[in-house]
Amino acid sequence: MPVTSALQAHSTLDQPIVHLMIVVLVIMSAILVLVTTLVIVASIRFRQRAGMPEPEQNFGNPKLEMTWTIVPFLLLVSIFVLTVITMAHSDPSKTTAAGDDLSPDLVVSGHQFWWEVQYPQAGFTTANEIHIPAGRRMLVRLIGADVIHDFWVPELSRKMDMIPGSPNEIWLLADHPGTYLGTCAEFCGDEHAWMRIRVIAQTSQEFEQWEQSQEQTPPPPTTPQAKHGEQLFRSMSCANCHAVSGVSSGRVGPDLTHLASRETLAAGRLGNNPVNLEAWIHDPSNFKPGSYMPNASLKPEDLSAMVAYLETLR
Amino acid sequence: MAGEFVHQKSRVLILTFIFSESIFFAFLITAFVLYHGRSAGGPDARNTLDPIRTGIYSLILWASSVTVWLSERAMRHLSITRSKRWLEVTILLGGIFLVGQGIEYHGLFAKGMSVETDLFATTFFTTTGFHALHVFIGLIVLLIVRGLTVAGFGQEEYQREGFIAASYYWHFVDAVWVAVFFIFYIWGTR
Amino acid sequence: MSEVPVALPVLRKLQRFEHEGGMLSWVASVDHKQIGILYLVTSLIFFLAGGVEALLMRTQLIVPENRFLNPSLYNQIFTMHGTTMIFLVVVPVLLGLMVYLIPLMIGARDFAFPRLNAFAYWMYALGGLLLYFSFFAHDAPAAGWFAYTPLSEKPYSNLQGMDYWALSLLVVGTGTIATGLNVIATIASMRIKGMSLRHLPLFAWMSLINSFLIVGAMPALNAALVMLLVDRQLQGNFFKPAAGGSPIFWQHVFWNFGHPEVYIMVLPAFGIISEVIPVFSRKVIYGYAVVAGSTVAIALLSFGVWAHHMFAVGLGHFLDLVFAASSMLIAVPTGVKIFNWIATMWGGAIRFTTSMWFAVAFLVMFTIGGLSGVMFAVVPIDWQLTDTYFVVAHMHYVLFGGTAFAVFAGIYYWFPKFSGRMLSERMGKWHFWLTFIGFNLTFMVQHSLGMLGMPRRVFTYPNIHTWKVLNFVSTIGAYILGVSVVVFLWNVIASARQGRTAGDDPWDAWTLEWATSSPPPVHNFDYVPPVRSARPLWDLKHPEDTDWERARKRQRNGR
Repeated sequence: MPVTSALQAHSTLDQPIVHLMIVVLVIMSAILVLVTTLVIVASIRFRQRAGMPEPEQNFGNPKLEMTWTIVPFLLLVSIFVLTVITMAHSDPSKTTAAGDDLSPDLVVSGHQFWWEVQYPQAGFTTANEIHIPAGRRMLVRLIGADVIHDFWVPELSRKMDMIPGSPNEIWLLADHPGTYLGTCAEFCGDEHAWMRIRVIAQTSQEFEQWEQSQEQTPPPPTTPQAKHGEQLFRSMSCANCHAVSGVSSGRVGPDLTHLASRETLAAGRLGNNPVNLEAWIHDPSNFKPGSYMPNASLKPEDLSAMVAYLETLR
Repeated sequence: MAGEFVHQKSRVLILTFIFSESIFFAFLITAFVLYHGRSAGGPDARNTLDPIRTGIYSLILWASSVTVWLSERAMRHLSITRSKRWLEVTILLGGIFLVGQGIEYHGLFAKGMSVETDLFATTFFTTTGFHALHVFIGLIVLLIVRGLTVAGFGQEEYQREGFIAASYYWHFVDAVWVAVFFIFYIWGTR
Repeated sequence: MSEVPVALPVLRKLQRFEHEGGMLSWVASVDHKQIGILYLVTSLIFFLAGGVEALLMRTQLIVPENRFLNPSLYNQIFTMHGTTMIFLVVVPVLLGLMVYLIPLMIGARDFAFPRLNAFAYWMYALGGLLLYFSFFAHDAPAAGWFAYTPLSEKPYSNLQGMDYWALSLLVVGTGTIATGLNVIATIASMRIKGMSLRHLPLFAWMSLINSFLIVGAMPALNAALVMLLVDRQLQGNFFKPAAGGSPIFWQHVFWNFGHPEVYIMVLPAFGIISEVIPVFSRKVIYGYAVVAGSTVAIALLSFGVWAHHMFAVGLGHFLDLVFAASSMLIAVPTGVKIFNWIATMWGGAIRFTTSMWFAVAFLVMFTIGGLSGVMFAVVPIDWQLTDTYFVVAHMHYVLFGGTAFAVFAGIYYWFPKFSGRMLSERMGKWHFWLTFIGFNLTFMVQHSLGMLGMPRRVFTYPNIHTWKVLNFVSTIGAYILGVSVVVFLWNVIASARQGRTAGDDPWDAWTLEWATSSPPPVHNFDYVPPVRSARPLWDLKHPEDTDWERARKRQRNGR
């Protein structure tokens, strides 16, 4: 598993936050060292020894007390100034110079417990994995479909809540190609832990290729087993919840049009391969007990057919 | 003991309590103001509330603030009988207000409106309902005072202090209604 | 109590119980000392419950993808842990100390309203039982202690747990407000002659300010709970996005309560520290006026910082900055106190009793919590670290490293007064070191977990190497902390039975509660020494160097 860290930036938008965090951490550590040292020195130097008389009673010193009021205050003022600057750099305006709203490049909706990802300009929908071209700022609109979720990819940008009824927007940018892990960061119910997201930044050429492949309807299955799987998909309840371009248009669960091209299953719960897919469909509650995906109770041969069909969705 | 303070403890208590309760009502009223105009199509303050009829009941409630003050003043001057009469008037006025609100609720229910109808209905019933509950509790307190006067309540200073505290609470429920009336019935229906 | 119409036979019976002693006297009691003990014991029981919940959570998190608890149960347990520790442990244990000590500190016979005092305690006990009854009524609440809508609304939490949660907090909150009112009325009207506000012990000062916070903040919670209940029970629309309701409104109302609540849980702890450090350093508190005044500043500011819990909501940069500024500002009067306490130790003759160990550790632990708190006021840092384990670490450094350490300091300090017996110092040292090591092991690493991107409130986590190691360490720390609590319990039980006899004033202390017997008689004092300064017993013991003469001299010299 790749490592995530809020102290590491892979985005020029996140860089100022990391810098600020390091500066503030250094200041805070310095204060902590100062306080700890004072406490330890006082504890050792002024330990009561046998036969000691009552020490001199010192009621305070207004000048000294003023000093340790004003110095921290000034320190905080400077941190505040850094805060203002960093906010402007890391979370730039989402309007044009004229003040008009920009249209989003991506619309991400948080559902219990998965992510719906729409590319409004190209007009397709995917789930749980976001592809972006490296080096290009993408304006992402964030929507809460049921409860409040929160979109957070630590190494790329700030986190932002996804609130039903009040959409938010952030800029998403990865400087270099790579896979960046993120997670839902607002408690959203049973499977909050398994509401993970990954951002896959690609070269612009790769991204365009990916985009084109996503726009296409996958070819109909050819093997008899996969054909049987497709039939099951249509006839059972799968199609009510899941959309597959050209087959079904359910919107309750993730879009499965290009399921087989994704890296993970069930919002980061499992690696995507036929074995895991079969295990997942066989008993979703074994992996994600709070998921709304029902157990379809398929016979073994039907299960294989279903997997064979889903594997054709590239 | 700090003699002169001890007798004021009831007043300290009730004033702090009133401060606390005011904050509670402030949030309920804020909900109405925040959601005002968001009940598109459904009932809202303008097409539902009658500031004139409720205004009359409001005047009755506010008048009871005056009568409870008269009653409390009479008790402070040890005119227990006069105090009792004004207290009875207060209870009557408070009761009339509650009946008026009952009539208003009844009319709204008859129109098919209930808490779940829309945001206006939710905020309206919650705020006025909690206010009515406070009036009701105030009436019980005043009735207890009235009942105790039969047993000679009002002779001792701490008893009179208790009544003063009760009267403060009654002024408070009237004051809350000033806010509710002007925000819901006047600002809301303009 | 002369005003009670004792005609009612039931009342008469209850009063008899009260005077005859025995178990029933505890139920019928309106004596502040008995009620204070009830508060302390009840909060200790809930502390054990909340602690078991914490250990269950840490056990689930000891390895990645653990199946010890299922997600639904885990979520119930963390919700109960948070709710229990905040509403049934930290606040009431502080209220218990306040209820027991304030009349003694101000030289009074009892509270201004003894029966209101009993009412408040029983509301708390009832509310606590109501919350825990939810476990037996099929499910406990599972939407977290701040119960964000719409997750806490019927469509997403359709069982009764949330209703129990809201009702029990209304009941507990009513009790808390009642005690707040009572403390204000008591300090306003029951102080002994000479006990001007400038002579009030700092614990009483902090309690007074704390009570104003309670009275001002709890109604916001009550309003939020009422609206949530209207939504859940009467199909209201307050927080329903589909009907135009705003989930963000819940957050505003809740945090209007929630942030002052943080100070409600910390100010009395400051009060304890301000009593313990001077006595064991053998020095008067450094800058009495500054310590008291800075607390007033904290209290006022605490009502203007709530939206720093909402920087990830998207309120816009302007509002974010307003609340960032106020939140940074509140750090100033808090930091001042740390320096004043250190200055009190400086030049003293420090006696390292267990109580003092906890107080000294408090200084550093609370500083860590305070500094990480300032980091959350820095908006972009909050954008990264909010809702991660960094928050969990931060708030435990404030509430455990801060308040719990202070409460332990207070219990070792006042237990002799409560019981007439000393707690064992030997076991106390064991208790302290186990707590100190266990606590830091558990929570220090959680800072790193947050930095490494681990969100809070997750029942499990993917197998990422660093997360795995740090979580393992954290769980081991939690077990050590668990052992430390057992040592503490043992110490309390054993010492209450056969501890060394304390005498009236075992610490050679200076405030009025030490001027009466241990435990004090029902009427508190046979004789109260004259009060001319904040340290009446110092004046009594050092007639050649009294505080009030010094104050008079200082005034004459124009300082």
